[in-house]
Amino acid sequence: MTSFFGRFKPGTSPASPASANPPTKKDPNAPQPTPLEKLLVDAGPIRADGSDKFFGFENFGSTCYCNSIVQCLYYSVPFREQVINYPSRSPPEALERPANGALPRLNTDLLANGNGRNSAISPGGGRNSMSGPSPRKPATTPGAAPTGPPGTKPEDNKESPEYKKKAAMAAGPILAMDYENSQAYGMSESLFTSLKDIFEAVIAHRSRIGVVSPNKFLEILRRDNEVFRTPMHQDAHEFLNLLLNEVVENVEHYSKNRITDVSESDSNGLTVTSGKVVPDQSSTFSANNSGWVHELFEGTLTSETRCLTCENTSQRDEAFLDLSVDLDQHSSVTSCLRKFSEEEMLCERNKFHCDNCGGLQEAEKRMKIKRLPKILALHLKRFKYTEDLQRLQKLFHRVVYPYYLRLFNTTDDAEDPDRLYELYAVVVHIGGGPYHGHYVSIIKTQDRGWLLFDDEMVEPVDKAYVRNFFGGENVLACAYVLFYQETTLEAMQKEQEAEGLAAAKEASSQVPVEPLSPKSNGNGVANGHSHTAFSPTTPVVEVDDQFASLNHAATAPVTAEPHHPLENMVTSIPILSPKKSNVGTKKEKADRAREEKERKAAEKELEKQAKAKRKEMEVKRRENYRKQEEDLRQALAASKASAAEEDAKRKDEPSQTAPDAGETQKENVHLHSKEKEKEKDKEKEKGGGLSRFRHSSMSIRHKPKFWPGAAKEKHESENEVHGSTGGGTDSEQTQTPDKHEKEKSKNRFSLGRKKSTFHL
Amino acid sequence: MIGTYVLRDDLHLATPPPHPSEAPVHNPNPLATTLSPPSAGTKLSLVVLAPRQHSYSRLYKLDTTTSTRSQVPPSIQESPHETNSQASDAGSHHANGVAPTPSNELHAPAFGEGNPSLALLNGKEAKDPLKRRKPKSNIVKSNSSFVSRVIPHEALNKRLQEHSTDGIYAFANINRALQWLDLSSPTKEEHMTKILFTKAHALCHDINHVTKSSNHIDIAMGFSTGDIIWYEPMSQKYVRINKNGVINNSAVVSIRWVPSSENHFLAAHMDGSLVVYDKEKEDALFIAEDQAPAPEVAPHEPEHKAALAIKKSVNSKNQKTNPVAYWKISNSKTNDFSFSPDCRHLAVVSEDGSFRIIDYLKEQLLHVFNSYYGGLICVCWSPDGRYVVTGGQDDLVSIWSLEESMLVARCQGHNSWVTACAFDPWRCDERNYRFGTVGEDCRLLLWDFSVGMLHRPRAASVRQRGSIASATLKMQRTRTDGSTTRLRSSSNLTAATQDDAEVVHPVEPRARTAILPPVMAKKIDEHPLCWLGFEEDCIITSCNSGHIRTYDRPKEGAGSDTPSTTSASASNS
Repeated sequence: MTSFFGRFKPGTSPASPASANPPTKKDPNAPQPTPLEKLLVDAGPIRADGSDKFFGFENFGSTCYCNSIVQCLYYSVPFREQVINYPSRSPPEALERPANGALPRLNTDLLANGNGRNSAISPGGGRNSMSGPSPRKPATTPGAAPTGPPGTKPEDNKESPEYKKKAAMAAGPILAMDYENSQAYGMSESLFTSLKDIFEAVIAHRSRIGVVSPNKFLEILRRDNEVFRTPMHQDAHEFLNLLLNEVVENVEHYSKNRITDVSESDSNGLTVTSGKVVPDQSSTFSANNSGWVHELFEGTLTSETRCLTCENTSQRDEAFLDLSVDLDQHSSVTSCLRKFSEEEMLCERNKFHCDNCGGLQEAEKRMKIKRLPKILALHLKRFKYTEDLQRLQKLFHRVVYPYYLRLFNTTDDAEDPDRLYELYAVVVHIGGGPYHGHYVSIIKTQDRGWLLFDDEMVEPVDKAYVRNFFGGENVLACAYVLFYQETTLEAMQKEQEAEGLAAAKEASSQVPVEPLSPKSNGNGVANGHSHTAFSPTTPVVEVDDQFASLNHAATAPVTAEPHHPLENMVTSIPILSPKKSNVGTKKEKADRAREEKERKAAEKELEKQAKAKRKEMEVKRRENYRKQEEDLRQALAASKASAAEEDAKRKDEPSQTAPDAGETQKENVHLHSKEKEKEKDKEKEKGGGLSRFRHSSMSIRHKPKFWPGAAKEKHESENEVHGSTGGGTDSEQTQTPDKHEKEKSKNRFSLGRKKSTFHL
Repeated sequence: MIGTYVLRDDLHLATPPPHPSEAPVHNPNPLATTLSPPSAGTKLSLVVLAPRQHSYSRLYKLDTTTSTRSQVPPSIQESPHETNSQASDAGSHHANGVAPTPSNELHAPAFGEGNPSLALLNGKEAKDPLKRRKPKSNIVKSNSSFVSRVIPHEALNKRLQEHSTDGIYAFANINRALQWLDLSSPTKEEHMTKILFTKAHALCHDINHVTKSSNHIDIAMGFSTGDIIWYEPMSQKYVRINKNGVINNSAVVSIRWVPSSENHFLAAHMDGSLVVYDKEKEDALFIAEDQAPAPEVAPHEPEHKAALAIKKSVNSKNQKTNPVAYWKISNSKTNDFSFSPDCRHLAVVSEDGSFRIIDYLKEQLLHVFNSYYGGLICVCWSPDGRYVVTGGQDDLVSIWSLEESMLVARCQGHNSWVTACAFDPWRCDERNYRFGTVGEDCRLLLWDFSVGMLHRPRAASVRQRGSIASATLKMQRTRTDGSTTRLRSSSNLTAATQDDAEVVHPVEPRARTAILPPVMAKKIDEHPLCWLGFEEDCIITSCNSGHIRTYDRPKEGAGSDTPSTTSASASNS
């Protein structure tokens, strides 16, 4: 496997014209292709829509939050299409001829990894100094990989993610996204343009696999957002929220500009001045469709508040780009969503300001979905502020999520209330707490099944693998953000058929020689894909070796541990729930202890390295940042000025509802840091009911917890949620265990209803 | 509070450590892509040896004073759907009997009755009907690498003698162990026999209620490796069937004896195959016998899903070896199946969310329904065979009517996936039904419904909005332009293709479906629950980590259960 990385990947893209070209070092003893390469072995010609590109993303030290989210967005077909087509798509010629100075600088040259790239940019500049290339450099030299990291037995770590990541970097090709083409798009540099740069570069590249170094993207992100400037662990959901809002803003900003440009001077638009191949007309056309982010991600929530004093019901629609739901132990996503829309009382410190009777009143409030989004981004609120500890804690609750979903919590007048969603991406957080850990994403690709994207590494996984992240005791890796996209019953059935056929084919091709192997009778749905057969096993590795090879990523899955290199952030609380299943035998305990030891050793090692690395990177980054800022200040002065102008203008036009929503969300995002949330939680407690309505990000994070202790009791007694008719609830109360009898009643249950009724 | 179920005891089965030969692979990588073999939580097979009628058949409360019995069938026959399908014929035929008596079972032909090659073999072997044939090998002395260890209780014989014929024996799997327990014994926590398998996990097991006697129990177990074991615990004899997966090498997820058959049992393999085995026949390499071209040849056909691929018919002449019959119902994993009490139908639920009714005597697929969304996990029949209840990943329990071949109600109340369901035959009569469900949410829910309720006109729905046609139109208007096919149109729930409309039923929109709340819901465990059973005096549940909990029924002090048409059997008042 190792030496295979040394050569370029002609085999993976046989139909690509590229395959003739590369100066391949055909290693005669090239042993094995990676699982991903195997998967792509029979791939036809490269498609123009980017659906058959599988690039990892380089980790620049805790940037996995970014990598995981960007991957999820890339594999949303409509989102990717919109990004590359807005305002217009760079013509293929532009991408094919990287030498042409006037054209976008895209890294499509096929010379061995790195060489061409470095020539395309100022060598000492931009990316290299910023990204801390030192760890990567040795890896990028083609010869280096096969020998493996010195001092390690390659057999030992070949299966470790660290090894695979390094190998992926070594194999390349690496798309160094340290340039930007915003001028070519006629836009000012923004997160959107750099995202578009990445997408276009990936699609245009002749290789199907490789690694993206999203330098520019991170640079812009950090320039504009202080929160992300530190090399620390960040919240992936926060980043998603920010990114979507930024994209909305960037796109709207551009379309406003265009409208004014076009109207003011029809021929002298930005497109012309920038001298790009972008046809003016088409760009104007698509530029008008600036609301596509809203179209994809936005839904509408209706909050109905009924004042208990005057019985007046007020309704309020709020737009959301994602839903944040509270979690309960042993629940499902369905149930979390249902809880989200359950009626809640606004009382005590959280009264509702009723316009009708004037003043703070007790009220009932419920939030339902009125317009269903095409892409439903579900944020599972695993990081919860705990009052006692005065900080966020990770919830390890087991929350199951189905592959398909419909929403129960829709309003009566919702359009298509039975819309079917399919799970297409899961962002997984690995780690013991909110301030550290690692993010990866598992994504269903258009026709290559489910893939695991772990920074630089991309690996096919079984469909059943998606279900490994429900969470639970002692499970460090749990789903954090779920992406569901609209689908149809027919599409679902078609896909299931295909999956089944693939499984059947695999089964039939398998001689039942080893029926005892667990693999041959995989996990059910399990054998959904033909690549099941080579899902690799990860043997126990000697941890020291494992980490010796790790000089690249600062966060790695194995660090997923209660303790983390970032000592200042370390929480002293044992993160794993101390509740132990009582099935543990002594042997298991011993094993655990051993494992614990190993882990600790590993941690220490990693800690050292990470610290060193961090320091180094920090210095470099700072240096670079200063330099960059100088350059940028000048370059962006103009566009910034106009941006500010536009912003001001936009704020004056509240009639445009969509942008308005986006804007408020943006505001919200700035408050998003966890520390702030803490403040907010406090604030909420003092604050009146109305203040809550200002947060338009539908993170229902602000859903007040009225009954801190009683919450559990509450749902114990309200065992059902049914439509508008409440007829069934009456008797449920009887089941609520009397507090005094709690212990006793724990073991008994009773019937309270004489007759059940149907709710129609 | 009318009746209270009280925890009688909580039996905890220890999870055995992995076999020494199976070095536990400690993987520090939480993202390891290794697939763990299929496993199942603890499930139970219960048996009472006393010669009582088949558990279901004795449960009809025919003696209860119900005046309206004669009105029941008409109300069912008025169903507009009735003429639509064959199933209705079969169903209503049996429904006319109101509550089928055990003798009804005799009316249904035995499985494979018309096949002389099957009959021949069976006839030859039935020399002495009283003396049951035992499996060949002794499991205690076995040197098979499949079985790791067998640990009989030191006083097994004494305990066998002490066991009252009314007492309940239970067989429970946990991880790679299978335990035989005497639930009526004072020392019930001590197993009668414990079998440890080397690698395979017993995922399912079932007891043959036809052949049981005071010195004979036939139990069939299905394993994660695809192997099946026919085990007779009294004599500690066993036979391994489908050895090393020679007939089908995917895991057996559900196994049940064919009703009123001594020898045949049906195993649902994970690859979507249903295979009938004969406990006494040898394995033979299986070659599909289906005459028609395999459906895989034309996967694009919409009818494909509606087909039942008969890879070997029960009527096949070749019946010297296993399998007896081999059907492929889909390519998706089968999660559970259940035989109807009238011994004609089979209800099968799958991971792809489909729910099928199969006439297994005729080897015909009658209906395909679908979950609201997500896979279906469990299925059971009402004691009279009129209704089928399913539970699944949509957190819903769905009640389906066989006669009307339609969804009757969706039951909302679980906070997570529904993993097991069972009717409580002691609380069912011919108009009122009680069933229970357990789920991943660690809760036990009890539900009541009655025939009257289910026939309430559904048009009364407040939430109904417009006809489906207009809704579909609306949806088409809003479809995304320029997006891919996957996103093209929204979920038209009603779009069943015309061809197989008879068999494949569309998903009912929420607005048109009755919703039933539970009569009782209670968190009873710290771990997700996976099995539930009703006995005359108790409810028994089990969870993924091996807790078997028994709850006593409410004391009968308040009067015996005298259900009338008005007071549903929701309580024991």
